[in-house]
Amino acid sequence: MTGKVAIVGAGPSGCYTAQALLKAAPGLEVDVIDALPVPYGLVRYGVAADHQGTKAVSRQFDRIFTRMGGQFFGNLRIGADVSLTDLCGAYDAVVLAAGLSADRPLGLPGDDLPGIIGSARLTRALYEHPDAGPLPDLGAHPVIIGTGNVAIDILRLLVKTPEELAGSDLGPGPSDWLSRQRVERITIVGRSPATAARFDPAMIRELATLSRINASIQPPAQGGAGVEGLLATLAETTSGPLPVEFRFQTTPTAVRRGPGGLLLDVTTPNGAETLSASALLTAIGFASDQALTGEQVADCYHTGWFANGPTGALPRCREEAQALAARILRELAPDPRRPGRRLLQDVPGTVDFAHWQAIDAHEKAVAAPERCRRKLAQRADLLTLPTLQDV
Amino acid sequence: MNIAIFYGTETGNAEMLADDLSTALDEAHETSVSNLSDTAPDALRTADLNIILCSSYGDGDLPASAQPFADRLEAQSPDLGGVRFAIFGLGDREYHATFGSGSMKLADSLIRRGATLIGERVVHDAASGDLPEDMALPWAEDIIAASHHG
Repeated sequence: MTGKVAIVGAGPSGCYTAQALLKAAPGLEVDVIDALPVPYGLVRYGVAADHQGTKAVSRQFDRIFTRMGGQFFGNLRIGADVSLTDLCGAYDAVVLAAGLSADRPLGLPGDDLPGIIGSARLTRALYEHPDAGPLPDLGAHPVIIGTGNVAIDILRLLVKTPEELAGSDLGPGPSDWLSRQRVERITIVGRSPATAARFDPAMIRELATLSRINASIQPPAQGGAGVEGLLATLAETTSGPLPVEFRFQTTPTAVRRGPGGLLLDVTTPNGAETLSASALLTAIGFASDQALTGEQVADCYHTGWFANGPTGALPRCREEAQALAARILRELAPDPRRPGRRLLQDVPGTVDFAHWQAIDAHEKAVAAPERCRRKLAQRADLLTLPTLQDV
Repeated sequence: MNIAIFYGTETGNAEMLADDLSTALDEAHETSVSNLSDTAPDALRTADLNIILCSSYGDGDLPASAQPFADRLEAQSPDLGGVRFAIFGLGDREYHATFGSGSMKLADSLIRRGATLIGERVVHDAASGDLPEDMALPWAEDIIAASHHG
């Protein structure tokens, strides 16, 4: 089968879609476009720096471009460098898999106060995204709002010792920042009861292996199966120097300025309460950055978080991408007059997959002994092809 | 030799390894690659040797594509006497409490139905930085050599 498909977003959903399309129809022209100069989206910038095993899916994605005939167009922002209208006119099908890069706000009085830091903003800085801002000081008692895996990722990085980060790709800047923090205790706040927390059980088990953690659960967790039982075990078996309190059934109602930080008003089964926080880290989901708008959006296929909101990890991305690819192949009406990638080839500043391979090799070659990679953090560096002389 | 390769996967890594293994073994053997989700337990009777590649997911659970196969094993209780299989796990030692549990559960389930495990079950660690094919190919070749002599 022939035909031209453009995929906007080279993160896991976009790559799984390209993979499924090319596996089923090797004759397709599949182009994967990303606003960043490097591919793989949240695999590079969202999966935690110490979860390198999870990042191994990028080896599958490499093959889209090295063996399956897919082309990567990096540093090309749809809506700015090329309009979505032009893209839709040039391809037989366009897939929007652009993810969700903004933080969902708390939606409470005071949710715009300084000292409130969204997890997207924080993890972009931690994982050296080229558009990241500086890492903020967290003070002695940060409070994390959220009971999903992003909250656990942030917690785990704050609790780990430098030795426990060995083998990760946490950069020198973020590693220095972590070692400068003087966190004395951490509170995790969630509305749901412990039984309904969306933590991955494996990630709770992982917390129990950390040397500094001393976990406690409010209201006290019952034993038994599932996440609540694992949390009860976590509380029983950890006794390190850093108190980490999980507060379930605790619903934030307002944020106020307080002495030396913020005050978080909450309601609990025992009534209203106010928690003090030196910083408030929100990990309650992501929202669109509104970069892709206009009537053309509705004419495109959508997948991943861009389509469904910020739930589901790699397996769900893959499952949905495979279903979408099957649907595209059923509906595709190829028109040979459409220019396809000829539209993109002359756009100034775009980079290709060979460019990424050079960056990838460079980043691995210059890694410190206790790190597996040293990311180029600045967009200008990601756009300059590293040469072996730089190593 | 007629070798059937099956994979149980969540993120596709075991599927890629199955394709790689098939390509590598294809010159000397007849190979096929199938997703466990599309496999009936009786299908293991066809080849001289079955090679199963299986990850773990969640809290040491079987990956989604192996679960329907495991459910059919449970429901149909087939007698797999005479079936020979080797099994290779894909795991992540960051989650060491449950490292390689998926392939272990599947191996136990097949052995309970009378199938014979050939060679040792080994588990690749995705966090190790080593490539799974660098571990799986020599492992498979050893097993094939041993099963010629056996």
